[in-house]
Amino acid sequence: MNARIFSARWRATSGPWALLCTVVAFVYVFSLGPILITTAVSFNQTNRSFFPPRGFSLRWWERALTPEWLDPLLFSLKLGTFTALLSTLLALPLAFALYRYRFRGREALVALTLGPLMLPTLVTGVGLLQLFQYVGWREHIGFAALLVGHVVICMPFAVRTVSISLQTLPPNLELAAASLGATPVRTLRHIVFPLIKSGLVAGAVFAFIHSFTDVNLSIFLARPGEVPITVKILGFLEFGFAPTLAAVSVITLLLPLILVAIVERVSGLGDFIYGDRRG
Amino acid sequence: MADPALRLVGIEKHYATVAAVAGINLEVNEGEFVTLLGPSGCGKTTTLGLIAGFFPPTAGEIYLKGRPVADLPSFRRDIGVVFQDYALFPHMSAAANVAFGLRMRNVPQPEITKRVADALDLVQLVGLGERRPLQMSGGQRQRVALARALVINPTVLLLDEPLSNLDLKLREEMRIEIAAIQRRLGITTVFVTHDQSEALVMSNRIAVMNAGRIEQIGEPADIYERPATRFVAEFIGRMNMFAGQVTPARTVRTAAGTEIDLPVPASIVTGAEVHVAVRPERTRLVRDKPADGLALRGALRQVLYLGATREFHVALDAGQRGLVETPNDGAAPSFETGATVWLAASFANCRVLPAPS
Amino acid sequence: MRSGVPAHWLLIALPATVLLAFFVLPNALLLSASFLKSEAQQLTAEPTLDNYRFLFTRPLYLEVFLRTFAVGIAVGLIDIVLGFPLAYFLVRSRSRFKGLLIALSLAPLLASVVVRTYGWYIILNRFGFANDVLLNLGVIGERIPFMPSTGAIIIGLAHALLPYAVLTIMGSLNGVNPNLESAAMSLGANRTRTFFHVVMPLCLPGIAGGFILVFSIAISAYATPAILGGPATQVAATAIYNFIIQLLDWSLGAALAVILIVCSLLLLYAAARLGARRAAL
Repeated sequence: MNARIFSARWRATSGPWALLCTVVAFVYVFSLGPILITTAVSFNQTNRSFFPPRGFSLRWWERALTPEWLDPLLFSLKLGTFTALLSTLLALPLAFALYRYRFRGREALVALTLGPLMLPTLVTGVGLLQLFQYVGWREHIGFAALLVGHVVICMPFAVRTVSISLQTLPPNLELAAASLGATPVRTLRHIVFPLIKSGLVAGAVFAFIHSFTDVNLSIFLARPGEVPITVKILGFLEFGFAPTLAAVSVITLLLPLILVAIVERVSGLGDFIYGDRRG
Repeated sequence: MADPALRLVGIEKHYATVAAVAGINLEVNEGEFVTLLGPSGCGKTTTLGLIAGFFPPTAGEIYLKGRPVADLPSFRRDIGVVFQDYALFPHMSAAANVAFGLRMRNVPQPEITKRVADALDLVQLVGLGERRPLQMSGGQRQRVALARALVINPTVLLLDEPLSNLDLKLREEMRIEIAAIQRRLGITTVFVTHDQSEALVMSNRIAVMNAGRIEQIGEPADIYERPATRFVAEFIGRMNMFAGQVTPARTVRTAAGTEIDLPVPASIVTGAEVHVAVRPERTRLVRDKPADGLALRGALRQVLYLGATREFHVALDAGQRGLVETPNDGAAPSFETGATVWLAASFANCRVLPAPS
Repeated sequence: MRSGVPAHWLLIALPATVLLAFFVLPNALLLSASFLKSEAQQLTAEPTLDNYRFLFTRPLYLEVFLRTFAVGIAVGLIDIVLGFPLAYFLVRSRSRFKGLLIALSLAPLLASVVVRTYGWYIILNRFGFANDVLLNLGVIGERIPFMPSTGAIIIGLAHALLPYAVLTIMGSLNGVNPNLESAAMSLGANRTRTFFHVVMPLCLPGIAGGFILVFSIAISAYATPAILGGPATQVAATAIYNFIIQLLDWSLGAALAVILIVCSLLLLYAAARLGARRAAL
């Protein structure tokens, strides 16, 4: 009540709040500007990254949908999907164990789980490349190595979201189910699992997006023909640019955007954004 | 003779250095409503958890209808539990919550539907079956929790302070209602609370617990009128406690030197430290020394007006304090603060309790 | 407990093995490689400290460290300066569009850093947006090569990492009781003083946390420095890539990577000491 009255008074007297709004507007322009510019350029008629765009054309979009770009795009989609699935599958028992049990070494396990989030993905990529070469798995560099690397860096996201779900379970639910005759397995199936579904979905979505947008790890583990879209774009930039890149870029932005929009509608992601417990 | 519905023998529960339950023996008969009453930390919730099977006892045995269950996990005991926070399943409707126990017992669906409807009717929630817990008030959730535990017809119904999250009016209504339902269905019930009025209103018997043990168990009137220890006397209602010592003449001499000539139980030895205990509402304040019964002189310190009653706080000789509670009959009190008064009571209303060692 | 393997071991066995094998082990290998000599692009088994000595004494690499560090600090500062007003606004806003505005501020995270940097490429290159506008406005006479340069890297990274600062600061601000501002005002503090004496101090942990997060991501950034920078403006990440992919020098590459790891760990420690929010696990 107080805060609402207070901020109304803030706004009513312009001054500080109006100034804040102006600054914020500028920050939004800074933040969204380059993306909007890229989108505009993708519709350029000429073969240069002019802005303001000259003329309107869809030819770069046509080029963006040729195998040269579709292949890496589909590769990234496939990689992202498998990463999301594996990450969630591995995260589930891990999160559950951390939630349910107190055991020696629990703190160490937490550190291990969060490790890939805390260290630069670049380093994990370099290390994995070395590992694969060292144990003679050279031929697995490509999809397999990428999958392994992505799962490692994406699993923490899934563990986090599932943990949040578990922690927001009302405390006595499992006891209540047991008192009503539910065996531990049935409790998991009927009570725990339905209530952590949103955490699983959020985890899968974050894992997918993290995989789909990764660059620093992927540059070390890709090989010709098995290249994620981000690495492909990066490589292309070394040869100068074309508005095709702009079109491709917009596509790679749209896909996660649509995914998030759908999942938010269906399952809700808001609770998981901060990465820790919200009331 | 039929087995009691519930029997606890030598039940103990130790955590690291703490003995949450230090030795409980309890028998609850079929259809009885027994309350475990005590302050926080006395072990009553732990005892309930042991009966429910949420954790194993460190020692002792639990019998449900004669069957030893201490080794059985919760889902194999035939119990129903109502939790303090209700623990309703948020992703299920009220009806689905109530049906859950029946589903776990593989009851056929048509019977489930009927019994759920009956249970919701019993707790007066007809028509609210499809609502989710989040869309219900605290009182409604509590009724769903109750229905859920009752519908499965458990051997024993366990309630863990189910009323403590409700506001006062609702609490008073619900205690009568729950007791009525229990009497009607005849389900053996163990109720845990720290609220003594709840215990007095609802129970067939009350077990007053302190520091992991039962100090006294008996019918409400017994516990109130004839408390066996100082703890029980002070936990239920309020009690005047006048310290003294048993004289060779088997009277009690107070610190002020007053000799109180009331019967001292044979179990208390001469010379022992005791308290003479009398309820404030059984005392009265008089101007002149009463002819017989308890008579203690003092000065009136304070009069408190509580609407239905008045409290007179008296500073007795030798530093003791007395409390007299009188119904407010509309007349103004005839004593002024500072006046010399006598606290009087008949010996029939006094008890001699051993002082705790 | 039942007899047999405790349940929690069964649950964590597979995920923990994956993490140990594919996270701990690679880093351990890197650590060991950093202490081994390389000859003819092959790692030998000869232990040495020369790799680190090399990196810490060559002016070229000292410059790389300096640049990386400077970029990190600059980006961190810019992002908390830009991010704090935005975070504050979003947390205190009562607008109907609050959810949308929050989503908009975080939406750039959905695009890969390559894509976001490409936008700056379009803007900053010689024939790009910035030059076009400045030329048309008559501010400059001929095109300026804004990139490749360290400045361009800073701008690109600041843009890419801004949402992280906003997220961290928002997370911290959400924990601040709005009634505190009312209380201060009721005690006679005007808006400015309330802000500086009450609001700011309470936001500082979040701001510090945001800075540290952005800094630690910035020092290990690859794509943006690669795109907006060049051979003359190397940072740690591009140098590592250079060592490993182009020069096939695993010793130096590993050593530089280990330095990055140590920096990250130190930053983590600093963040933890500041009491910045930890992930709840």
